[in-house]
Amino acid sequence: MATPNNVPDARLLGEADWIAVTDVCRLCLIDLTEVVELIELGVVTSRGPTPAEWLVPAASLPRLRIAGRLMRDLGVNVTGAALAVELIESRGDLERQVRRLERLIHG
Amino acid sequence: MEYRDYYQIMGVARTATADEIKKSYRRLARKYHPDVSKEKDAEKRFKEVQEAYEVLKDPEKRAAYDQLGSDYKQGQQFRPPPDWGSGFEFRGGPRQGRARAGAPHTEEFEDAEGFSDFFSSLFGQRGFGGGGAGGGNPFGGAGARAARDHHARVDIDLEEAYAGTTRTLELKRPDLKPDGTLDLKTHTVKVTIPAGVTEGQLIRLAGQGEQSTGGGKPGDLYLEVHMKPNRLFQLDGRDVTLTLPITPWESALGATVTVPTLGGGVDMRIPPNSQSGQKLRLRGRGLPGQTPGDQYIQLKIVVPPANTPEAKAVFEDMKQKLNFNPRADLGG
Repeated sequence: MATPNNVPDARLLGEADWIAVTDVCRLCLIDLTEVVELIELGVVTSRGPTPAEWLVPAASLPRLRIAGRLMRDLGVNVTGAALAVELIESRGDLERQVRRLERLIHG
Repeated sequence: MEYRDYYQIMGVARTATADEIKKSYRRLARKYHPDVSKEKDAEKRFKEVQEAYEVLKDPEKRAAYDQLGSDYKQGQQFRPPPDWGSGFEFRGGPRQGRARAGAPHTEEFEDAEGFSDFFSSLFGQRGFGGGGAGGGNPFGGAGARAARDHHARVDIDLEEAYAGTTRTLELKRPDLKPDGTLDLKTHTVKVTIPAGVTEGQLIRLAGQGEQSTGGGKPGDLYLEVHMKPNRLFQLDGRDVTLTLPITPWESALGATVTVPTLGGGVDMRIPPNSQSGQKLRLRGRGLPGQTPGDQYIQLKIVVPPANTPEAKAVFEDMKQKLNFNPRADLGG
C-alpha cells in the first residue's frame, strides 16, 4: 500500500456557508426545479433575487440530500419528499426524547 | 469473488416480469432505505437490492446475467467465464474511484455507491448520477457529464467530532496499462476531519472523485459525516445531553459534583431542592463550532436501598419528620 499523502484541500462545508442552488443540485443529486420547489415548500430557506441566484445555508444540505435520496431511490415526488423529510426529523426528535426518558427511568 | 443471486435478493422468480421486478424493488427499497428504515443492516441490504435491480431492470444486463445459468448459489465462489459479455453492448471492466477507509480506525467505511466486486467484474462501472437526477435513478432521469463526483459516508465517534480526527481512505482508480487493458490501482489519502463536525455535514476532497479520461477536471469526493451513538452523551445538533445520577441528599441540599463533558470532567453546582428530570446547562460544552453547542445535564435521583438497620432508621426518621406526600395532588 502506498504511503498516505495528505489532501490539503479537504474542506468542511460549514454552518456559516451559503451554497448556490446550482451547487446544491450537484451536492444533492437533484434537479434545479426540484431544489426550487423544495425551497418554495419551505423545506429550506434561501436568499437571493431570483431562483437561479438563490443561495441556501449549508446547514440545510443534510435534509436536501435526504430529500434527493428519497426521490431517487423510492420514486416519491418533491412534495412527498418534503413531507417525508419533516416526518423523519420529527421521528428523530421523538426518538431522542424517548432515549432521554429511558435513561432517566432505567439508567 | 462471490456469486450474487439477484433474483433471490429481489425475492422474485427467474421468470419474473419487468413489472414484478419493479414492484419488488419498490417494496424492498421502501423497507431498507437507510434514511427511513429501522431494519438491521438496512444500508447493506439496500445496496444489495439496488445492485440487483440495476441488473434485472435492464433487459440486456439481465439477459447476460441469465446466461450464467441457474446453477450458481448465492455466496458461491465465482469467476466470470472467458467469453463473458460477448454479444452484448455493455462494457465490462472495473468501476472507478471506489473509496474505502480503514486503519487506523476500526469501523468500516463503505463506498456510498458500493456495488460488489461481482457486479463490477460483470458490468463495469455503474451509471451513477452526479449532476442532476442522474443515472442510476430507477424512476427515470439521466444526466450526462464528464468526471463525476463521488459520495461516501464516514462514521465517527462523538469524541472524534469534538476533538477532530483523521481517516485514511483507499481510492481505487483504473489505470490504462501499455497493452490497453485496465488495471485497478489503489492510492491512499489521509483526510483531516475538523473538530466540530455534526451529523450529515459534508467534507469535500477536491479532485478525488472520478478521474477525467479526456484531460478535464476530475470530480470531487464528498464524505458525509455520520455520528455513532455514544454510551454517555446524546447528541442533538451541537448540543449534548448527559443523564447524571445524584443522591437524594445532593438533590435536597445541593452539591458540587464532577460531571463528565466531552472536554473532560467539570465541577458543577447542583442547586438545592433539585428534582429528577430537571435539566441544567453547561454553556459551550457541546460540540465546538461558530456557535458552540451546550451540554445539558438531566438529573436522575437514585435512592439508596434500605437494606441495613441504619439505612432503614434514616428512612423511618424521614417518614416521621418530613410530612411529605408526593400523591397529594391525586387526592391520596
